[in-house]
Formats: sequence, structure tokens, C-alpha cells
Amino acid sequence: MKRVAVYPFTAIVGQEVMKLALILNVINPALGGVLIKGEKGTAKSTAVRALAELLPAMNIVAGCKYHCDPFDSNHYCDECTELALKGELPNTTAKMKVVELPVSATEDRVVGTLDIEQAIKKGEKKFEPGILALANRNILYVDEINLLDDHVVDVLLDAAAMGVNTVEREGVSYSHPAKFVLVGTMNPEEGDIRPQLLDRFGLSVVVTGEHEPAKRVEVIKRRLAYELDADSFIARYEEEQKALAEKITVAQKLLPEVTFSDELLTKVAQLAIELGVDGHRADITVIKTAMTVAAYEGRKETSLEDVKTAAKLVLPHRMRRRPFEEGTLDWDKVESILMA
Amino acid sequence: MRNYAYYPFTAIVGQEQVKQALCIAMVNPKVGGLLIGGRPGTGKSVIVRSIRELLNPRKLLNLPLNITEDMLFGSIDMEKALRFGVKQFSQGLLGKANGQILYIDDINLLRPELLSSIVNIQAEGINRVERESVSYEEQTVFSLIGTMNADNGTLSNQLLDRFGMYVESENIQDVEQRKEIIRRTLEFQINPARLIDSYSQETTELKQKLTKAVEILPRMQLSEAMLILAAQMCAQAFCAGHRAELFLLETAKAIAAIAGRCFVLPKDLEAAAVYVLPHRMRKPPEEAQEETPDEKQNNEENNPQEQDNSEDVDGNSDDEIQENAAPPLDMPNNTSSEDSSSEGESKDNDTNEFPSNNKAPEELIAAINNSFKIPNLVLDLGKSSQIKRGSGKRSITRTDLKQGRYVRAEQPQGKVEDLAFDATIRAAAPFQSLRPSNGCALTLYNEDLRQKVREKRIGNTFLFAVDASGSMGARERMGAVKGAIHCMLQEAYQKRDRVGMLAFRRDKAEMLLPITRSVDLAQRCLSQMPTGGKTPLAEGLALAYSTLDRLVRADQNLEPILILVTDGRANSKLNDNENPVEAAIKMAQYIRKAKITALVLDTEKGYVKLGLAKTIAREMGANYYHIDKLSQENILRIVRNIGD
Repeated sequence: MKRVAVYPFTAIVGQEVMKLALILNVINPALGGVLIKGEKGTAKSTAVRALAELLPAMNIVAGCKYHCDPFDSNHYCDECTELALKGELPNTTAKMKVVELPVSATEDRVVGTLDIEQAIKKGEKKFEPGILALANRNILYVDEINLLDDHVVDVLLDAAAMGVNTVEREGVSYSHPAKFVLVGTMNPEEGDIRPQLLDRFGLSVVVTGEHEPAKRVEVIKRRLAYELDADSFIARYEEEQKALAEKITVAQKLLPEVTFSDELLTKVAQLAIELGVDGHRADITVIKTAMTVAAYEGRKETSLEDVKTAAKLVLPHRMRRRPFEEGTLDWDKVESILMA
Repeated sequence: MRNYAYYPFTAIVGQEQVKQALCIAMVNPKVGGLLIGGRPGTGKSVIVRSIRELLNPRKLLNLPLNITEDMLFGSIDMEKALRFGVKQFSQGLLGKANGQILYIDDINLLRPELLSSIVNIQAEGINRVERESVSYEEQTVFSLIGTMNADNGTLSNQLLDRFGMYVESENIQDVEQRKEIIRRTLEFQINPARLIDSYSQETTELKQKLTKAVEILPRMQLSEAMLILAAQMCAQAFCAGHRAELFLLETAKAIAAIAGRCFVLPKDLEAAAVYVLPHRMRKPPEEAQEETPDEKQNNEENNPQEQDNSEDVDGNSDDEIQENAAPPLDMPNNTSSEDSSSEGESKDNDTNEFPSNNKAPEELIAAINNSFKIPNLVLDLGKSSQIKRGSGKRSITRTDLKQGRYVRAEQPQGKVEDLAFDATIRAAAPFQSLRPSNGCALTLYNEDLRQKVREKRIGNTFLFAVDASGSMGARERMGAVKGAIHCMLQEAYQKRDRVGMLAFRRDKAEMLLPITRSVDLAQRCLSQMPTGGKTPLAEGLALAYSTLDRLVRADQNLEPILILVTDGRANSKLNDNENPVEAAIKMAQYIRKAKITALVLDTEKGYVKLGLAKTIAREMGANYYHIDKLSQENILRIVRNIGD
């Protein structure tokens, strides 16, 4: 199959916050994904696909259904564990992929199921991997995640929480690694997302269409140019694409060296306490995101500004403690706590 | 997934109670299971998974929520049957759990039928299987650990009672502790091996302590005095049944064993009581009545196990429900002096019936009376071909659409449309040696075919039709009405129901909110709903009828429920020569004919009661409740409208 042309990430007009949230997640997949709220036609899925296209290839075990990282023995699947014992892990590289989970997906396709062909032809019980297997080490993209069936959401939550997909279904008992960057989109008008699922998203952003006429014109111009001649349009952005890819690669390498001061950590902990968020995900994610922002900007020391940027992405969707409470983030309060 | 690195138990900051409870469960499987509640993100699952290292060589088996019955209970070994023609039992998770620990994350989301089988088997120690041509019985002794976040609804009282211990993970508020949690979590993410190493000494020590405790346990001395003390403690807590004493003693034994003693002291029982008693404590009626409403509310907030008794129709907690549903108008924002004059006030209300005398302000927006409590709503839709009661969500719809979770397989009646491959293969497997081969490992006959039984947990659809006329406008009345609706909405939120709202006042009925899954929007709609003007009841009913009718036409599986809130005093005409009350009754009869299940919440108040809402309810074939008498009901039962 010929590789389909993908609209360049750097050619997307505006939507800076969404772009930042996505970039931070690919630099640091441990952030916990991003929930994008907003209307249709705001370049959500374009941005996700475009970002994957731009990323450098990663190491994978050749032929592994779960694309295990040959250098991460903690997260090998069963087959790779065995191969590693024999010392024969074939190494190759592949780009990060965007794996789409359609809202209508049935559970057997999501978690995997009994391989019918093997069973009928050979009488063997084998596991046929599903979407969660494909999603391991990739981006799992769920459009209109708020419309997903509850039982599929349960499965997603389970896998997202553990990084493992445990299957005890239809005659097969199996588990495999399922660590993915979860990107969900939703239109809030069409119903709520379950609070549990909301809490699992590391970051959230609200996107709106551009209102400035000049920018709107630019959006259309670029789109038309792309549709007219995709190849030369893509070529025009090659330079910028390379620069961004390079920036992301540098940030990925820098990230383990990024530090933060005790003072900054105190402020983040206080922030979580005073805002009354549930549990520890909020403060842990704020500091992780802030560190990633620092890495993205090529710094080794996390700054207060980084924390502020992170707080805007991490806190808003965690402010609601009960149903029906208006979940708004009091930004003045955040500033006063951080600046104290 | 053998190499998977788990966060070390000993590196967990705080959560001492949860940690101790887990140690107890690891040492003594007879404590009857451990349920861990708590806010999301407080580390419930992390702690449970961290016990793996301590358990070794025992295992922590994860029971996924989507487990199918064959994999849970066990079934015929498909491979053996196909390849060697032998009928052999293949163990399910419950069998494999023998001697191990079984762990269920978000246990409150597991299908209640499954959970109740699991706790029964756990209590009995025997798994009996009669499935797919195998008959099997096996011994299985395991500890059960579940975690839950009460936001998604809690377990029913009967199920709660089966758990020996309950503990809640704390929401740590100390800055230094929180900082330490962040530091260690980051360290673990960057280099798991290093963090595990730095706690390996502590892990080894704890492991030795637990191993020793397991050795001591069979020799544990339990004096008569301790038995008496345990009985006294349980009696004081008004525990139902005798499970409490047994669990209390077993827990105390484990605590003593962990402390390295081979006899139980009173302090062990006291420590055990913290885990064993809270979720099974019942209040004696006299005491409960002395409580102020505020205390009641606090109690509710603190004890999730008391909040949701939705499955509990005849359980012991009925007293509580009644208490919580104390007379609605006692608790609103107004003071007690106003309260005592409520009868005089209701005379004013009566004058509102007559437009010429209408002294009520034209437009009022009443605040939601949040302290209003209603009894639990129970949908008693009975058994029909399509819908049956059960599950945490209100109804389970069995559809012909290939949607929903595949829960089990059955022999098809007629044509197979949704083939259950695994069950079909299992059904055919034992007969393969007798059948002519077709080149494959499997020769299928028609009688082998099994089809999937799918369950789709859907919330129900509720349409609220609210009388927003002037006669409802008296501030605290509308407050109470909104309070009652608020309660229902809150339940709807938990159960993922869909809701819609329409109001009728002045000369028209208005759809305020089309049917949506966003209970939030309904809530906003409710708080902003103004009252004032006449009562076009027939218009309201007509709009409700057309809305619901359209809904059912679009999706035959839906069984929407109409909740009509009115005092029944229709006084606005559709056309000149029609009596507004008669018009309303006529509409009500249409609704009955359409078999729309409905509930009428009568809000009529005052000396002279016309009882029109009751008449409307009867004509509609609806369930009828009066808002003032809600407190006397144990449950709000909604029975299906069977039409004529």
C-alpha cells in the first residue's frame, strides 16, 4: 500500500495549546494522554495524525505483535521474554502510529479474542490480538470518546491504568503490554464523559475555531493548496517539520536530566491541596508536565513559568469534585499560590 | 508479562490502614475479603498491585471486568477435546485462584450476578461447575481484594456484608507527604529497578514477618473472653447476622499473628473492629431519630456504603432510608417559624388558582433545595422479552443488535445471527472423534452452534415534565420540587441515564432540554427554571407524549420513563370550549394507551385538596406519589405501564 500523504503538523494554523499538549505527550508518553474538547472541524484528528508522521522512528522488536522495545526488558510481552532468554531479539525501527478506536468497536476487537481460524483448522487455542495490542507504544485515538460504550470504557481504563491488557474471555487467558498515549476528543454538548475516565487523562485542552478572519482565510488557503498538490505543499514545510522533529528528539533525550527545586515541588503540592483535587494524579502530572515543558524548551531546570503552563493543561478537568458542581479553575487562586 | 516491575509496597507513603488491611488479608484468607474504597488517584490500585513481591511464590490474579463465564468458572478444555477427543475440565480463574489472591479493580462495576457467585464460592471454598457437557467440582481457597470508587455507585448492602474488611484510602493533605509521593513516583518512572532496590531490605523484612505470621496462625489461641468481647462489639454495632463476629475474630487473629503473638488480646479485636465493623454497622432506630439533619448528611458523605442502597429493597437499611427522607419541608432554607406557619401560607397558594386573584410574582426562580432527600428509585419493569432487571446500571437490555458485552452463550432458537465461536467449538469438541473428518480439526454440525448473549448496560431515559406555573411558584415548594428532581438527577448521573426536561406554564409547554446524556445540562436547566403563570397541563402532557413517542420509534429497545411533577390544577385552555382538566385527562389517556411508563409526583398542597394529580395519574396508568409523603416511602417504585 502506498503511504498516504499526511498534512504537515507545522502547517496547522493556530491551535497552539492543543499542539503543545500533543507534543508534550509524545516527548513524555507517561503524561497520560490528552482530552481535546471542542466542536467539529477544528483540526483535532489532523493534528494527531500529523504529529505521528513527524516523529522519528523508534526501536521495536521485529515481528513482535506488540512492538516491544528491545531495550526495555520490564515491558516485554511473553514472546519477547522468551526470545530474550535465547538472546535472539531481532531489532528494527518503526514510526509511532495512530491507532483509531471507532466508537462502534466491539469488545472482542478491542481486547483481542480467540483465534478462530487456528481453533477450527488446527484445534489450537491461540490469542488473536486486538486494538489494544496495536496501540502498545503508539497513540490510541478515540474520536467522540464520550459516546463510547461503558463496557469498552471499562476496558480502556483498566489498560490505561496498568499498561497491561488482561484477557480472560472466550476461551483465552492472556495478558500483554498495552501502554499507549490516549488521545480522546469530545463535544461537550453531546453528553458527559465518565468522571473516572476524565481523571485518567493527563492533560485537557479546549479548542475553538479561529475567530479572526485573517486566520480563517489562512486555514482555507492552506487546505486548498494542500488538496491541489499535496506533495509540493508538504515539501514547502519540510524545513519546519525537520526542525520540530529535531526539537522533539532533543527534548526526549534531555528529559531524564531535567530537575526541579524543592521550593517548586512544595508549591505544586500546596496547589493540589488548596484546590482540593482528588488523589495525587494532579500534582504528579503538573510536575511531570512542567518538566516536559522545560525539556521541550531545551532547559534542564524546571521554572515557575513551566509549572504555570502545566497547570493550565492539567488542572481544569480535575476541578469538579461532585456531579453538578461547576468545575472551573480559579486561575487567580492558582497564581496566588504559585507566586506566594 | 513476567518481568513487569511493580512499585514496591514498602515505598508507599502513608496509607497505613490500607497497608495493614492488606497484610491481614495476605496472612489469613478466612477474613473474608477486603474491599478498598476511596477517591480516585489515591493509590488504591497501586498499593494492591504492590503486594505481588510480598506474596511470592503466591500470586495476585487479576480478574478483568469483562471476564466471560467460561473463563471465570472453568469449562471444557477445547484443545484437548479437539485434538485428543478427551473430555477434560479446563480450570477457570476461580480454580486457578486456589491458594492465591484474587484481585478485582473497580469491583463495583462488575456484573452483580458474577460478583455474588464469586463471594459465595469464596465463602464456601468450593467451585461447582455444570457447563458445556462438563460436570466438575473443585476446592478453591483464596483471598479476595476489591477496589472501588464510590462515584460510580457502591455495592448493595448484601454484597458489602460479604466482605470481611472495608478500608478507605486516605486523601493525603500533608505537603511534605505529598512531595515525597511525587518524588518517589517520578523516581519509579525513570528507573524502577533503582527504587525497588532501595526498598528491597524493607521488603524482605516485611515478607519474613508475614511468613512467620502465616506459620503462627494455626496455633493461635483464642480465649473464651475474646469470644465474648467480639460478640459484645458486634451487638453494640447492631450488626445483622453472625458473619461479623467470625470476621472480627479471624481479623484479630491475623493482627496478633503479624505482631508475632500466638494469642489474641483485646487490642487486636479493637484494631480489627476498624476494618470489620464500619460497613456492617446498623443504627438502632431511636438513636437515628435524635440526629440532626446535618449529621445525617455528614454521615452520608463519609460512608459511601450508606449512600446507595439501590439494590436493597428489603434490607436492613430501610430505617435509614426513611430517616434520610425526613419530611421535605422541614429542612429547606427557610426558618422554623415560617415552617410552622406553612398552613397559612398554603392558603395563599390556593388563591393562585384563580387568575384574577393572582398575587404571586409573575416570575420566580427558586433555588434548589439541596437537603431534600427522596427514597431510592426502583424501576420495577418486570420481565419482558427484551428487558430484565439487574446490574448496577438500571436495566440491561438484551438486543438483537450485535452490540454490548458478550456475557455468555446459549443454544439458539431459530437462526443464528451472532455466533459465539468459542462456545460453538467447545460444544462440538467432544464429538470430533465420532464425526467424519473434513480436513480441519473441527467438523461442525448444526446442533453445535451457539450464539452470543450480549448485555448492554444502558441507563434509562427519563423525561421530566415539570409544572412551572404560578401555583407551584411559592418559593419553598418549588425548592422542594427542584430538590426532588435534583435527587433523581443525581442518581441518573451515577447510573448514566439519559435525561430530558420540559416545563409547562402560561400558555405553552416548552422543551427546555432535549434528551441528552448530559445530566449536567439538565441540572443547569433545573436551577434556572422560572415559575409563574397558569397551568397548561394538557399542553405539557402532549409535548411529553410526542417527545417520548418519537424516541421509542427511533429505538425500539428504549423504554423511556416520564416523570410528571405537578399539582394537577390545570387551568389554561388549549381552546375555548374545552375544560383544561378534561383536556389533561384526555392526554393522560393517550399516554396510557401508548404504554408509556410514568410517575406522577403530586405537589398539591393546602386545606382543600382537589386530588387532580391523582386522577391524572390513574388515567395515565402512572405510579403516583405525593411529595409530602415521600418520606414515608421506603422506595419509589416505578412499575411498568401495561396500558389497558
